[in-house]
Amino acid sequence: MSAPMDETVPIMRIGDTLLIALQGDLDDSAVVRIEDRLAQEVARVSARGVLIDVSGLTVVDSFIARVLARVVSMIRLLGAQAAVVGISPAVAITLVELGVPMGHLDTALNAEQGMAMLRRLRRDAVRDDDRQIE
Amino acid sequence: MVSGEGTSSAPHARLRDLEAAAALVGDGVITLDPTGRIVSWNAAATRLTGYTPEDVQGQPISLLYTAEDKAGDLLGHVLRNAREAGRYETEGWRIRKDGRRFLASIVIAPVIDDSGGLTGYVSILRDVTVRRSDESMFRALLESAPDAMVIVDGEGQIVLVNQQAETLFGFTRGELVGRPVEMLVPQRLHGRHLQHRAAYAASPQVRPMGMGLELFGVRKDGSELPVEISLSPLHTDQGLLVCAAIRDVTERREQQERLKRQRDEIVELSTPVIEVWDKVLALPIIGTLDSGRAARLTEGLLEKIADKQAEVVILDISGVPTVDTLVAQHLLKTVQAATLMGATSIISGVRPETAQAIVHLGIDLGRLRSRNTLRDALQLALQMVHDRSDSAVEAAQTVRRGIRE
Repeated sequence: MSAPMDETVPIMRIGDTLLIALQGDLDDSAVVRIEDRLAQEVARVSARGVLIDVSGLTVVDSFIARVLARVVSMIRLLGAQAAVVGISPAVAITLVELGVPMGHLDTALNAEQGMAMLRRLRRDAVRDDDRQIE
Repeated sequence: MVSGEGTSSAPHARLRDLEAAAALVGDGVITLDPTGRIVSWNAAATRLTGYTPEDVQGQPISLLYTAEDKAGDLLGHVLRNAREAGRYETEGWRIRKDGRRFLASIVIAPVIDDSGGLTGYVSILRDVTVRRSDESMFRALLESAPDAMVIVDGEGQIVLVNQQAETLFGFTRGELVGRPVEMLVPQRLHGRHLQHRAAYAASPQVRPMGMGLELFGVRKDGSELPVEISLSPLHTDQGLLVCAAIRDVTERREQQERLKRQRDEIVELSTPVIEVWDKVLALPIIGTLDSGRAARLTEGLLEKIADKQAEVVILDISGVPTVDTLVAQHLLKTVQAATLMGATSIISGVRPETAQAIVHLGIDLGRLRSRNTLRDALQLALQMVHDRSDSAVEAAQTVRRGIRE
């Protein structure tokens, strides 16, 4: 089920932002392939932001939370910002109850707000960079 | 013995054995001739009645009878029954030599010689006045118990019930005694009840029945009633009896239901989520925040966030009497969950003493935005929404540019 799925996970490009919608049930190998493709794609198009939609995932547990954290740090290392969108109320409660640390993730309610957040993050990042240069 | 020819010595020997045995248990052993006159009278009989053997020799046994029994020819009745059945047992009041009454338990059997002729009777006399008073006390206790009592033997047959049990189940005593106790248990629970009954017989002890289960009884008309049952074992000469005290808890269950409903309603009422502005929600928290309430509150808030696509949430805690570690933890969890969904939280209504308490307790609220009043919080919220919509517009422009490229 997951093998053909990850091959077809579409990575859409809108301007300098990439949009990836995670779907179904992710296992270790699927996660590795997605990370691989996403890293390649961010580097290839010099993306400035990545929007990760998790609303299509069947389960969001501590494993997925760790995967998201890894993907986000990878994206940041490649010079882009990342925002996670589509966490449902039930998932949010579960993650908090499990005590999964999600503080470092930037989350937004929907794609529109996610895009706005990426823009804000980018502006802040530029400001920070300028300050460091000064 | 007053008897005919041909009486062997064997019955005498047997009688002596019997007398010796009966003397040990303190029972009176009396032998009678075929007409009911006293032939022999042991020491226990003297002790019981006050009459010496000399007093009664040749007297009819009816000298112990009450006036009514004498008039009613009880003697003839007793002897006839004993002769016909081979053994007769009865209980009745008898008179001592000093005129006092005692309750006697009497067993009488005919003595038959080898040729089949009646040679007399042997009777065992026991004073059961004390036992009767014990029993009447037991029955009085049973009847005076506030609960319905059903006493069941090892086979699950009902042995004894009290008035309250009759009233509760609508059966009369006659309809219950001797029947399996399952007749008071709803059909659907019979299998389980049988198992539990067997388990109880294996290790009888005083305990409530069906710990943690909701128990039901069934009335004569087939209607069910919720009950609470306490079991206690009675070790008697009839073997193990189980005494079940049954209480109708219909009213209590209803009260509990009502209480639960009211509590739910209060919880609903106490956690309203208000949309105060476009994309801004306010949640005034009033009263103590326990974990149950915190969970419902979080759930309600997150659903509203999804529903209204809210970006900013104001949690107003001016109505929370004290903020301790636990309350702070609940608040933090709510904030974290809202953050995961993409909504920013602002705490408002932090009173000076609350702020002091939070700092002194060493509670880390992280980078949580906090404002003194709801007014300030709303101002901040609107500012944030405004900033975001600006960047949303910019983002939209970027998207359009990207598509054009």
